[in-house]
Amino acid sequence: MQNKNLPRILLLVAIAVLLVLLPLYAGQYTITTFIRILYFGFLALSIGFLIGQGGMVSFTQTAFFGFTGYVIGLLGLERGLAFPLPELLGLAGVLLTALLLGMVAVRAYKIVFLMITLAFGQIFWAFAQQNTSLLHGWAGIRGIRPPVLLGIDFYNTANFYWGALVLFVLGLYLLWRITKSPFGLVLNGTRESPRRMAALGYPVYWIRVVAFLISAFYAGLGGILAAYNTGIITPTTIQLSRTIWVLLMVILGGASYFWGPVVGTIVVVWLDVLVSGITGRFNTIIGIIFVITVLFSPNGLLGLLDDIRRGEKFPKIRKFLFPKAASGE
Amino acid sequence: MSRKLFSIFSTLIVVSMLLAACATATPTTAPAESKPAESTGEIKIGFISAFTGVFSSFGKMQKEGAELALEEVGYTAGGKKITVIYEDDQLDNEQAVTKAKKLVEQDKVDILTGLVSGDEGLTVGDYMKDKGIPLIPMYSASEDMTMRSFFPMTVRATWTGAQSMDVFGYWLATEKGYKKIYMIGEDYSYPWNQAGGFKRGFCRGGGVEVKSVWFPPGTTSDFSSMIAAIPLDQGYDAVLYNGAGGDAVNFIKQWSELGMVGKIPLLGQSNTFEKPDLDSMPKDIVGSLSPHHTADDLNTPNWNAFKDAFVKKYGYSPSAASEFAYMSMRMILRAIEAVKGDVSDKAKLVDAMLKVDLSDTPRGPVALDPTYHSAIENVYIREVTADDKGALYNKGILTVKNVSQFGPYDPALYMSQPIDGNTYPPDLCADFPAEMLQAANIYEYLPFGK
Repeated sequence: MQNKNLPRILLLVAIAVLLVLLPLYAGQYTITTFIRILYFGFLALSIGFLIGQGGMVSFTQTAFFGFTGYVIGLLGLERGLAFPLPELLGLAGVLLTALLLGMVAVRAYKIVFLMITLAFGQIFWAFAQQNTSLLHGWAGIRGIRPPVLLGIDFYNTANFYWGALVLFVLGLYLLWRITKSPFGLVLNGTRESPRRMAALGYPVYWIRVVAFLISAFYAGLGGILAAYNTGIITPTTIQLSRTIWVLLMVILGGASYFWGPVVGTIVVVWLDVLVSGITGRFNTIIGIIFVITVLFSPNGLLGLLDDIRRGEKFPKIRKFLFPKAASGE
Repeated sequence: MSRKLFSIFSTLIVVSMLLAACATATPTTAPAESKPAESTGEIKIGFISAFTGVFSSFGKMQKEGAELALEEVGYTAGGKKITVIYEDDQLDNEQAVTKAKKLVEQDKVDILTGLVSGDEGLTVGDYMKDKGIPLIPMYSASEDMTMRSFFPMTVRATWTGAQSMDVFGYWLATEKGYKKIYMIGEDYSYPWNQAGGFKRGFCRGGGVEVKSVWFPPGTTSDFSSMIAAIPLDQGYDAVLYNGAGGDAVNFIKQWSELGMVGKIPLLGQSNTFEKPDLDSMPKDIVGSLSPHHTADDLNTPNWNAFKDAFVKKYGYSPSAASEFAYMSMRMILRAIEAVKGDVSDKAKLVDAMLKVDLSDTPRGPVALDPTYHSAIENVYIREVTADDKGALYNKGILTVKNVSQFGPYDPALYMSQPIDGNTYPPDLCADFPAEMLQAANIYEYLPFGK
């Protein structure tokens, strides 16, 4: 048993060490890119959790992502409230808003749910865009800085990366536990057949509301990191194209897999960095990759690898990637 | 299943970290990058602009202007090769910061330039504050970059939003005798700043009211209700359209279609009647006035030389955005020349930029304010005119020399005022702070070309 697990444990330790020591061997921009992966990862997890576990495609999550940023800008920067008050108030605000919106939205399913959340998202965006007295319209709020905590200055990129990494790992672990908990299973049940779950006596409506809340909380957490990292919060943070971009990450990685959003974020953010250095047609290239992926594997990159492992696609690649599984059959 | 997936996920992280290692390894292996650049003779200039999106035409014009200046010196200055790295921010402030981070952290640029919109400038400026790298905004006109949020690595040899408008408003009030203006403006920072400058000048010259109506930019293509709402019977002397780009083209077209021409004079802000938008506007708006730091019929040797070179390379006439980029890039190149290509001391480089002789700037002589690193230059009041082929252009009618970003006001007093917005300055001149109205006029309005 131990022997079987040893390579996996070694790999895990190697990754952990590589990730933790990243600021020591990688360039500054690589760290910045990983920070982007971490906060977009939160947003992707938020959207991916709803799609994968609850079967709900939400277009409001990006608004929650921007919500905490705006609260930090308004209360932390402009009114001078000290850490962690604006952050906690922001998250509380996100939960409250998500509760109200969720109670309306989760009554609907599938495409209707999508349209309602799209409308909510657009309302937030239009408000942020047009409100000049409080949210400064198009210009947004700039000059947001991460706090100094216990003598650690999080304005320093490496410190910020470590902080974000710890938060992300905790968040991942918690979401993993939620997914595998009885609640997660019940949520999966409502995804597959809400009527049957209701017939079994489960409060389907509230289960979906809670899932919406959990997802909103993750989006809000990512928003805090994003606002600190870019130093600004503007309506473009919550515009529709951003939502679609993150949705694309989730689907590219594999929306039905727990790790799908994370894989998608890593791939898309790195593609962004690498491709934008070569050509300005970043969106074209990512679009082509997206179309190809969805054509060959509707379940994203992880789905593709899963298919290969099970021998359903590309048997030759399978032999190369999974020699044991291939020879075992 | 999840175990396998986990291992796949882990491999992905490892791969991306390998990528990371590669990305960081290149500068050390490739001789022409990063630190060793000083010895091998390369200077890197980062150029952020909006090459896609609503303002893409401005981004393109900027790039063309900058490239013309670079080609003139064959991409070398002070014995060093000049490399420009262009990044597109799609006019998205968040993208602008991301790209600035990329240019500073990965490409390790020596100078950062470009920037179209005022908000872009302020956002990137906020990030660049403590980076110790010169920031040279080109078309970005938010006055606070060289005022309330000024940091000494900024050098802006171009303009601020209020700079051209103050003298224009003053002239309309004193010479034209206008008392009341009806203004329709796009609700964001650049038009606010233009309106601020206009109101200050107009009220200082004895005006009574600048009625402001704001609308969110890019949200409508139907301005008929806005135009119909203009109260023609309430004694307004003119309508000032305070917007630019696609909105301006739509507005002006509908202005003409709804038969407003001749009923009340139309005024523009600096960008309203700029080319290439002007080419899409109806011909009957001739006579509309606007101020800018360039005019299409400037007939000076410097302007003609620039214009000829530009037309020869691109096949059409330059705009203000291309001139601003051209002269900013030329200032950068001359400063690099002055420090003999040694750009390691950035403070020295900024100092050299401030000392560059800009008297041969195509649009007219420019001097730099040593305190706030902003331009002191000519303002031209122009009239939309049709040439013999019927094409519209901005014909200069008056020249105002040596206008600074503070106009005739005391800098300390000016900066103690709130930032221009959609609620400040007030619409009624009577509500203005008295000390702002008392500033004496220090400008002479000379016939154009003198």
